[in-house]
Amino acid sequence: MDGLIKNADTINKLLARYGVKFGIYKNGEFKEQLFPFDPIPRIIDNKEFSYLEKGLTQRVKALNCFLSDIYGRKLIIKDGVIPEEFIYSAKGFLPPCDGVTPPKNIYSHISGIDLVQSKDDNWYILEDNLRVPSGASYPMIARELQRRSTPDTFLNNSVIDNRNYADLLKEVMDYVNTGGINVILSPGRYNAAFFEHSYLAERTGAILTTGSDIVCENDNLYYIDYNGKKQRIGAVYRRISDEYLDPMTFYEDSVIGIPHIFEAYKKGNVALLNAPGNGVADDKGIYYFVPKMIKYYLGEESILLNAPTYLPYYEQDMKYVLSNFDNLVIKDVAEAGGYGVVFGNSLTKEKKSEFIELLKKEPRRFIAQEVIDFYDLDILDNGERVPRKADLRAFVLSNGETKVWPSGLTRFSRNPDSFIVNSSQGGGFKDTWVLSR
Amino acid sequence: MFLPTDSARQRIDNLHTQVLNCPKYSMTRDNFNNKKLYGAIEKPHNSFEVTICGTAKTGLDIYEEYTLNPVEYSLLKVQTPLTAPGKKLNEYYKNLELDKFSGTYDKALHIMHTLYYTFSYIKGATDIHESAETALSIGKGVCQDYAHIMISLLRMEKIPARYVVGMMLGEGASHAWVEVLCNGYWYGFDPTNNKLVNDEYIKVSCGRDSNDCSVIRGKFYGIVNQLQTESVTVEEV
Repeated sequence: MDGLIKNADTINKLLARYGVKFGIYKNGEFKEQLFPFDPIPRIIDNKEFSYLEKGLTQRVKALNCFLSDIYGRKLIIKDGVIPEEFIYSAKGFLPPCDGVTPPKNIYSHISGIDLVQSKDDNWYILEDNLRVPSGASYPMIARELQRRSTPDTFLNNSVIDNRNYADLLKEVMDYVNTGGINVILSPGRYNAAFFEHSYLAERTGAILTTGSDIVCENDNLYYIDYNGKKQRIGAVYRRISDEYLDPMTFYEDSVIGIPHIFEAYKKGNVALLNAPGNGVADDKGIYYFVPKMIKYYLGEESILLNAPTYLPYYEQDMKYVLSNFDNLVIKDVAEAGGYGVVFGNSLTKEKKSEFIELLKKEPRRFIAQEVIDFYDLDILDNGERVPRKADLRAFVLSNGETKVWPSGLTRFSRNPDSFIVNSSQGGGFKDTWVLSR
Repeated sequence: MFLPTDSARQRIDNLHTQVLNCPKYSMTRDNFNNKKLYGAIEKPHNSFEVTICGTAKTGLDIYEEYTLNPVEYSLLKVQTPLTAPGKKLNEYYKNLELDKFSGTYDKALHIMHTLYYTFSYIKGATDIHESAETALSIGKGVCQDYAHIMISLLRMEKIPARYVVGMMLGEGASHAWVEVLCNGYWYGFDPTNNKLVNDEYIKVSCGRDSNDCSVIRGKFYGIVNQLQTESVTVEEV
């Protein structure tokens, strides 16, 4: 491990050279930031990983069942397990997807499940990301560079080789492919995760493209290359959000989408990864119901725990939230990326009463959670080891079978007082070692 | 672009579609079961025209559609940005005293009557993106506003309601009204004319609000001014 620490600066320099950056928009301006890499890995032993693997597989299976049900027969509503308001008022529920079955009935092909470990050693699910979860490329390339600098480290420490992510991803694309090539559809150069799009395309052999090189004709999708040659597309790993996917079905002013792509998908002529409409399942309000889904669809108890969550929508929960406000973290269900997160004890008196007014007015918009006492991970700060909050995004891939990538993206907060680890908020990342012993 | 389809109340025959300048087009159904015509023109063009004609036999029954499973329509109980109530609609809703009526159908009738007598039909008072709340505050508007307001009130009462675009005998443009789910039956109510939908109406499409039903939707690339016109002719045969 000393070798890794010694080479940390070099690796960060190489990451910068390879363009491992993400772009953010602040005050209307586009800025690129490096994603700082910390050399001290998160280490998960084999027994612990098996436990996580079982729990994550179960969770993603249930979420896929839920999506298939919600855009199909809606039995979970009929049976009263989830109140219909929660489904239909969720921003992620997309009416055009109602009644549409994706190829092989898979909705969430690539799921990014965020977990944290608490001080009592329990893992808790923070949130599910079933739309366009990003981040796998960062640990991929960091591992690649570290292997070059100190190849023995990984062998000597029995670290499971995680270089199979691209193969897993390709398997998933091939499995749902309806006949034709695989492409990765990126919004383009100015997207926050453009590095990832190009890296995954290179590694999976899929073609990296933007909407302007794709046409929809007779309900089939074609990629037009620089020669003007047309090739049919069978699977689109799209890295643009649902709203922008098809100006004819969703957001009308989208210039990065492909007109009529949704019709081709609806008629079964192309697979979209992930399926449009998945936002209804990773809605922060629906999160509360995931353990109930696992019970309902799989007949099993949830292996992994949810963070204790309250829905102000229920009167009883609202009472609890109001009387324990200072101990809770309140999240706006419509926001992501660490935005819209409020710690009860961080508000001034004025702000607090303002917020409570809003909470009472729009109870469906918020969830409240107990603040989990994170198990800190050490990071290197100017050569010194200091503890920081960190989470883990596990990547779960579904191609008929559900598989967990034996690695993940460990993000940490560089600010010692912050619990928010999102890269858009200035956090960094670590390698995640899963051991074979 | 939507095409009229058969329902319990109407039957469409001899439907002809003519799309100028557009060799490739297809047909689909959206999630509200509307029939939709769509396509793309790749070549530069100065105009684009769709003509649809056919015959409709209407008044075959008094309802539009029957469903054994009303839960499937729960989405139509949810307000949209265009129908979301504010202060004005909440006040209006309270004054309706809908709890005095027991049946869904009677509640819908009461809303329609009241709205007809308290809201004025005036062209140009509202624009096409006006919400129900704003239209009600202004106190005047067109068929779209009547429909949005009525839908908003029905949904406040947790009654599934949908926005309908169609045609009427003797009109020069499309018309809009409301359908309400009562005991599994979808009935048409026209608050603009204070009338139950009968054989004078031809339904084309329906959805949560006017955004789901816009007669035509499209996109073009180029820097030119665009002019769009629509004309509807309905004659008795």
